Amino acid sequence: MIKIDHLTKRYSDTLAVDDLDFEVKPGVVTGFLGPNGSGKSTTMRIILGLDHATKGQATVNGTRYAELRDPVRQVGALLDAKAIHPGRTARNHLRALAASNQIKKTRVDEVLDFVGISAVADKKVGTYSLGMSQRLGIAGALLGDPGILLFDEPVNGLDPEGIRWIREFFRALANEGRTVFVSSHLMSEMAVSADEIIVIGRGRFITSGSVDDLTKNAEGTVLVRASDHDKLATVVASNHGVVHDANDDGLTIGGLTSDQIGQLAFDAGIALFELTPQRASLEEVFMDLTAGAVEYGSHTTGPANG
Amino acid sequence: MASESTWTASTQAEWIKFRTVRSSIMGVAVTVLLTVGLGVLITTLIRTHWSQFGALRIATFDPVSSSLRGSLFAQFAVGVIGSLFITSEYTTGSIRTTLTAVPNRLRLIASKSIVLFFTILILGEFVCFAAFLIGQRIYLGVVPTASLENGTVLRSVILAGLYLTLLALFAFALGLILRHSASTISVYVSVLLIVPIIGLFFPQSWQNDFMRFEPSSLGISMESPFAPSNSFGAWSATFILLAYVVATLAIAFVLFQRRDAGTNQ
Repeated sequence: MIKIDHLTKRYSDTLAVDDLDFEVKPGVVTGFLGPNGSGKSTTMRIILGLDHATKGQATVNGTRYAELRDPVRQVGALLDAKAIHPGRTARNHLRALAASNQIKKTRVDEVLDFVGISAVADKKVGTYSLGMSQRLGIAGALLGDPGILLFDEPVNGLDPEGIRWIREFFRALANEGRTVFVSSHLMSEMAVSADEIIVIGRGRFITSGSVDDLTKNAEGTVLVRASDHDKLATVVASNHGVVHDANDDGLTIGGLTSDQIGQLAFDAGIALFELTPQRASLEEVFMDLTAGAVEYGSHTTGPANG
Repeated sequence: MASESTWTASTQAEWIKFRTVRSSIMGVAVTVLLTVGLGVLITTLIRTHWSQFGALRIATFDPVSSSLRGSLFAQFAVGVIGSLFITSEYTTGSIRTTLTAVPNRLRLIASKSIVLFFTILILGEFVCFAAFLIGQRIYLGVVPTASLENGTVLRSVILAGLYLTLLALFAFALGLILRHSASTISVYVSVLLIVPIIGLFFPQSWQNDFMRFEPSSLGISMESPFAPSNSFGAWSATFILLAYVVATLAIAFVLFQRRDAGTNQ
């Protein structure tokens, strides 16, 4: 279990994390979602004791990370796959990591085998592709068989096969009762790999919940094709509906349910050819939620990093 | 608090890290080459030119420090070893992995210092004894020689090795402050080479006072059986250099403890 307790981090003049307060529970994959520069990595670095909190604190299993005796056995982390000395071999890198937390040498071979890089374990890490480095980083995170795992943007640089592998792997870790905390700026990725999602923007908490809840609560729209679009638009407008989009394919109406629209059309004598509720995708929800919280958005097309 | 066993564990880990990168191995090879190789070259030149030496030069000749001269070049090699041991953690970003494995920063720096101290001490003593013994062998029969049975001579050779060790730690401390390989090595080289040159611009009366505090002068004092003129004695020089190293390490540690380690700057 990870607990973030009114955490604030200020770097000279920028507020990177602004009073974040949440918990990451065991047994599920928790996604940590936000645009680039929203404070996800900073939060993770503070959890791991790398950066100091300005205010508040982060604890793992009730203890501050810096006070853990054998952190590699309790928390496995993959922050930046390339943050390994390029001149050292994968095996030696893991051996040093194992030695630092009194983990048996044989465990090194086990994790190398598990992530599938045994064959290149004696090559220098500098020769690795990003995907291979990611696998080595995951091997390092698993080395101490920890109950808590943190991954910062783990799918970056992975090929489709690797992405599928890592999704199933997160699921398996969570099913074993572990706490799995995965950050991403890609909502599409979180939609398929996470159970619970915590959304932040500009260092601030925006919302959290299950993927289903987040999309359910979002305002859906209804696509309508009718005999008289102009007339329907007027009727909708006078009944607190909003026409988001109107073209030859039909009207996209918000603020009313499909039942209400059907009834209004019937009362007005308009024939309906199509009446389709459009469920908001997580991506749209995310865009809505973080619209005001994107640090480097492009103004013409809305939030970047979509 | 960390138990004894965790201190051993982090020191073992740092030892594995030290010996599994090429820069350490290269640094060790260059240290051997400079101390022993240059020692052989210098002592051979002295032997072949001995007959041309004047009376004064012969009267003040010191077979001990002349055979250890190579260590004054090797101080740059051990400086590179010491600084890279920490700056490579920052330039590669591996400091983040290191600190997640050993979040107790005092324990981490102590472990690294212990590994560096003992590795360079063994290396330094090995190369200095080798340079001394080979040098005396080359002098034999032509140039006066010194023997390790003489306590002062033994002290000089031992302190020459310790000088290299302390300088490696000094470079390590600078690296922990600056967190960047090139700037650390520049500052280190400046302290050893440029500072004495700056001293030359001082008035004569200040010059001697200033110069003898300079690390290279302290090194010459440490490896000479008799204190050179206007210099400290061997033990005083050792303690002054030790004080420099301890002070720099202390400053470096305080900064390390306060700084964020997740981002490079």
